[in-house]
Amino acid sequence: MIGRMLATLGIVALLALDLALPSTDLGRRGTSAARNDVPAAAPKLGGKMPDFSLVDLDGREIQLSDLLGHRVLLTFERSVDW
Amino acid sequence: MARRAYSILCASFGVLLCILGTFFFAQFFRFHAPGGLGLPLLPMGPNGHYFVAFTGSALVAWGGALIGAARHPEHSRTLGTATAVALVMSGFYRMLAWVVGDYVVLGNLLRGEAAFCLLLALAFVWLRPGRPAPGEARA
Repeated sequence: MIGRMLATLGIVALLALDLALPSTDLGRRGTSAARNDVPAAAPKLGGKMPDFSLVDLDGREIQLSDLLGHRVLLTFERSVDW
Repeated sequence: MARRAYSILCASFGVLLCILGTFFFAQFFRFHAPGGLGLPLLPMGPNGHYFVAFTGSALVAWGGALIGAARHPEHSRTLGTATAVALVMSGFYRMLAWVVGDYVVLGNLLRGEAAFCLLLALAFVWLRPGRPAPGEARA
């Protein structure tokens, strides 16, 4: 009986945590708090993109300003396919 | 009354696990079918399908054991405990998955699934048969 009661306490505690998740700091994804983390210097939607450089797959450094006049599409992907 | 409820719980959850396990197992063959059978139903590659097939095999075994327990609930206390533990583990990782950004598209479905697993675990904890009395004959 004690085992049952202890198991029940543990499960009910987890259930309470599950219900409380949205009100915790853990559930910040997509919330206004998460959006406020964006630095002030970040580019604004529809605004001019600040210049930056990245290294491509061949190890060459690419400057955004070098691509002026071209359409640029940036994608971010995971490289591991499971 | 509790014995009958435990039987129904074992049988229905066992059938559900067998169906899910067979589905997972079949996805491995669908993925590797010669010529292909369209896009895979599970969004993953060969390694993911390899492990999903193993998961499916294990689910069929688990479900089969539960269906057996439905027939003889008085001798399946240990299986009820093990099932409750597995359900708590399932609920716990779903709660953690809700926090991880990779699963953001699933939203609160993960929390709902976690609650379902934990409530099911509670049912197994309370409906499983009690310990047999010392010296009680076992079939």
